Amino acid sequence: MTSSARPRRRIRHEIERRRIDGHITGCPTCAHELREVRELNLLLVTLPPAPPVAFAPFWLNLQAVLPQRRVLRIPWIQSYRRLGVAFAMAATAALAAGGSAFAAPSALPDNPLYPVKQLEESVRLALAPTNERLAIQLELANERLREAQVMAGHHKPLLAENSLRAFRVTVDDAAAALKNPANPKAAKEALHTLHVKLDAVERENASRGDDDEDIKQLVAAANDELDRIEEEDAIATPTLLIGEQATPRPTPQPTVRPTPRPTDKEHGD
Amino acid sequence: MAQSEEIPSTEGDAEERRLIDRSAAGDQEAFRQLVLRYHRLVINVAFRALGELALAEDVAQDVFIKVYKALPTYRHDKPFKHWLHRVAANTVTDALRRRRPVISIDGLEQSLVSAGSDPQDVAARHDLQRAVRYAIASLPPHYRDTIALQAFGELSYDEIAKALDIPLGTVMSRLNGAKRLLRERLGDLVGPSEEANTA
Repeated sequence: MTSSARPRRRIRHEIERRRIDGHITGCPTCAHELREVRELNLLLVTLPPAPPVAFAPFWLNLQAVLPQRRVLRIPWIQSYRRLGVAFAMAATAALAAGGSAFAAPSALPDNPLYPVKQLEESVRLALAPTNERLAIQLELANERLREAQVMAGHHKPLLAENSLRAFRVTVDDAAAALKNPANPKAAKEALHTLHVKLDAVERENASRGDDDEDIKQLVAAANDELDRIEEEDAIATPTLLIGEQATPRPTPQPTVRPTPRPTDKEHGD
Repeated sequence: MAQSEEIPSTEGDAEERRLIDRSAAGDQEAFRQLVLRYHRLVINVAFRALGELALAEDVAQDVFIKVYKALPTYRHDKPFKHWLHRVAANTVTDALRRRRPVISIDGLEQSLVSAGSDPQDVAARHDLQRAVRYAIASLPPHYRDTIALQAFGELSYDEIAKALDIPLGTVMSRLNGAKRLLRERLGDLVGPSEEANTA
């Protein structure tokens, strides 16, 4: 809006307002209605905010109910509860052991055995020694992208999105190790591979007539995340020239220069 | 009317997206941080609607449980805060509908005669505010959702439009319609008082 249009608009508003005020003054029905609206507005906005609430007890109460689903509480079932828990644990272990034999590492999110694969992966990651953890995380990140690409190709955008979200979580967990890797070259290559695979997911998504906007956004966000890791890595790692040793350079010490003294020659002059 | 407390930075957005993704993947620590960011906002919405702190905390817990369950379906195309406001407004209006109001009609009528600082008047006015809130809960859903975001969430027109994903003009017409229906339903209870005349 130009600077001259603004005062004109204000004047128009002022004229309109005077016209309405003039009408309301002479019209009891409209005046009554206006007062009702004002009264209602006052009633709607005059409640104060809540007094301060301590977060810790609020969270503890919430957390206590968060992971649980509502269960039917029947007294005679309670007595079998421990037995039930033991049975459930045994069944899970059996399923994990037996299922993993059948669940090929290539099981996709639309496969009924996919949860077994996830369980297998979490156990593998949890038991991994620290020096192997990054390699496993990168492997899992690549696997999530493979799943996302196939799911996008199979017109299952929600499953593709879930895999992309899980990818973000895995990369996020690996971010610290990636920013300070034992082998910077390998880490850089790994990040490049992930970029390439993200592009492949995007291409697969875009190749469909009804490409999914959320997949696009998740891919873009994941690419940004990888870029951030790469940038921080570049800042943290000094650039090495070929032939230069990877040892830290000694801090340059200020050299003490002797105060120039007149030489014999100068004396002679 | 209070507007949104702060405009999050891009870094803040990225951090929030990370927390949301992690929470959706079942990370409770990430969800704890989300709750820490927004519990005050949700409790305020519930308190403005229900007027009792203990009840507001219970309803706020329900809101966060719904959010936790629904996070895997949340899409980043609209701000999380707006989505949260919508879930909160729906949950509090549900809670209002489940509760029966205990309001003295005599007190309400008295409050309209004088709106001074007399404790009796103040109490009657609170009752009247409560009556309005219960009336909001009984409105048709499209009116109820819109006015609940204004009255309980204290969102601006623009924020309501974004939260409900509707044009600004629709927000205005729905608010007008909602207030017209409220006036009809509350009848003489919402009448002109001295305070309103001077507003």
